[in-house]
Amino acid sequence: MADAAFLALTVITIGSAIAALEMRSLIYGSIALMGTLGGIAGFFFLLDAPFVALFQLAVYVGSIAVLILFTVMLVKRELIFKKIEDRRRKFAGIGLMLIIMVSLGAVFLDSGIKTITTDEPPVDFRDIGTNFVTYYWPALILMGLILAGSVTGALVLARREDVENDQRAS
Amino acid sequence: MSVIAPDFKLSGFIKSLITDIVWALLIMSLIGIPAIMMILFFVPMPVIDGELLTPFLAFTYIADPSRTLPLVQAFMETDMFKIMAFPGFGFAALLAAGTIFVERKMLAKLQLRVGPFYCGKFEGILQLMGDGLKLISKEIIIPAKADKPIFWAAPVLFVASAAAFVALIPVAPGWVVADVDMGLLAVFAVIGFFPIVTILSAWSANSKFPFIGGIRALFQMVSFEIPLILSLLGVVMVTGTLNLSEIAASQSSFPWILFLPVGAIVFFITMLAELERIPFDLPEAESEIVAGWLTELSGMMYGLVQLGTYLKLYAFAALFTVLFLGGWNGPMIVPPLPMEIATHGLEMGPITVKIGGLESLFTQLITQEMLNGTLMFVLKTVGVIFFILLPRGVFPRIRVDMLLNLGWHKLIGLAFVNIFIALGLVYAGVLGPGGLQ
Repeated sequence: MADAAFLALTVITIGSAIAALEMRSLIYGSIALMGTLGGIAGFFFLLDAPFVALFQLAVYVGSIAVLILFTVMLVKRELIFKKIEDRRRKFAGIGLMLIIMVSLGAVFLDSGIKTITTDEPPVDFRDIGTNFVTYYWPALILMGLILAGSVTGALVLARREDVENDQRAS
Repeated sequence: MSVIAPDFKLSGFIKSLITDIVWALLIMSLIGIPAIMMILFFVPMPVIDGELLTPFLAFTYIADPSRTLPLVQAFMETDMFKIMAFPGFGFAALLAAGTIFVERKMLAKLQLRVGPFYCGKFEGILQLMGDGLKLISKEIIIPAKADKPIFWAAPVLFVASAAAFVALIPVAPGWVVADVDMGLLAVFAVIGFFPIVTILSAWSANSKFPFIGGIRALFQMVSFEIPLILSLLGVVMVTGTLNLSEIAASQSSFPWILFLPVGAIVFFITMLAELERIPFDLPEAESEIVAGWLTELSGMMYGLVQLGTYLKLYAFAALFTVLFLGGWNGPMIVPPLPMEIATHGLEMGPITVKIGGLESLFTQLITQEMLNGTLMFVLKTVGVIFFILLPRGVFPRIRVDMLLNLGWHKLIGLAFVNIFIALGLVYAGVLGPGGLQ
């Protein structure tokens, strides 16, 4: 069962990744990108990490893919992109991909991971929280500061003073 | 007087009937029954009264009224029943249909109109059925320059997302389609799909009004998702779980709205915005942009989107009930079930009718707690739906800059206030371990 799901997810993820690159229509390309991100969420489900998987769905599919879709819809493609395509670039790209995959595979084979057990209970998210506030607390505080800074920055940027203030609803 | 069928012969008619019946029997016995058997070979059948259910046994049970109940119980325990009927789609669709009728009638009363009146004998109660029939029988028109695959898929995807949302809602103890450990996160993930479907549907119509409406919907949904998620974090902090059933069960003494009223208010306002209801109905503003992103949808495609919208409304109201109003908890008002009928049988003078399977049905499936929980849940949810419908008769539509200002400045701030209230309650020991709960 897990093997069949793994194979199906692999086909979906890699197939839609190729489709995202090769589609002529940018909209369909972004939909295929959503398929890729959703497939990765499926891999997290298979790895017994539903917490990460659901965040992957909520953040990547739900927000980032929507932003890409939104941008693509508002852009006239012909004005921005020039088609640069020739055989040499294509083969160079395929060769680069093969090199990267072979080296990654070599790393995996070398690392000694031979089997993966799939019937482990999922990691409790409370454990993740406990680890964050005990062992990894500097990382947590750093992340918190960065996120707070970016949220504050976004709020400041969104608050445009040049718009006439009497028209703005208070 | 003309004859409708001048060549009609009774003998020819009977002969054709007999021929049809013979062919049907032949095809059924040669193809149908082996196919059913082959399918049944792969379907796990339940064990009833210590006997494995086979198709022949099932026919026997159906024919014998005193043995039908175990079969019904076995069916009610399947996942299919949960998905199709009770906590899932059928239940939600029934509540959604009631919502549509009550909305039209109540809005009419608020505006001193009559509302639906003629369809059906009493106060137009069959209006919804009439509308459904009309939508089914209407032609589906696809715009000539539309992107057809996405345009066809969008209404179905919308209903599918709404149904996935409904599947996560616990109605009574143990009665939930998908009891996910990360239920609230799954809700956030499902909510994220609605703007995608909306903007794809709007874009694929290749028309101005849907596109403007779709962009407005995207703005609105994405910017209100953030205060929505933040406003629910307070509940997660005080309960320490993301499972919706556990959150509902944790409110047996008092609902969380008593301690987190700010979060409840923020969630209610963001809920109105996510549902595109007045005063946040900019994506469908009918006086400005015809019908917003629904403009080019016709026939049953429009009907599907409406069904999805009201399923979503039910699911959001149910989520509010589960998170803030205590879900199925409440006073026990359902009388105890007649157990003596189940154990000793129904006495009618000299005759005693014993109904087999009633006892296990009463003790295992339809218990007093389950009926009372469902009743409490439905009462609370209907109350929340009433408060969602009410602003439609009262408020005007707000401008888009006011909307974004409200979402990004006020609601996010209030959601953080709510989080600090929850943190204060937990750290002061009022709630959480050692506290009230």
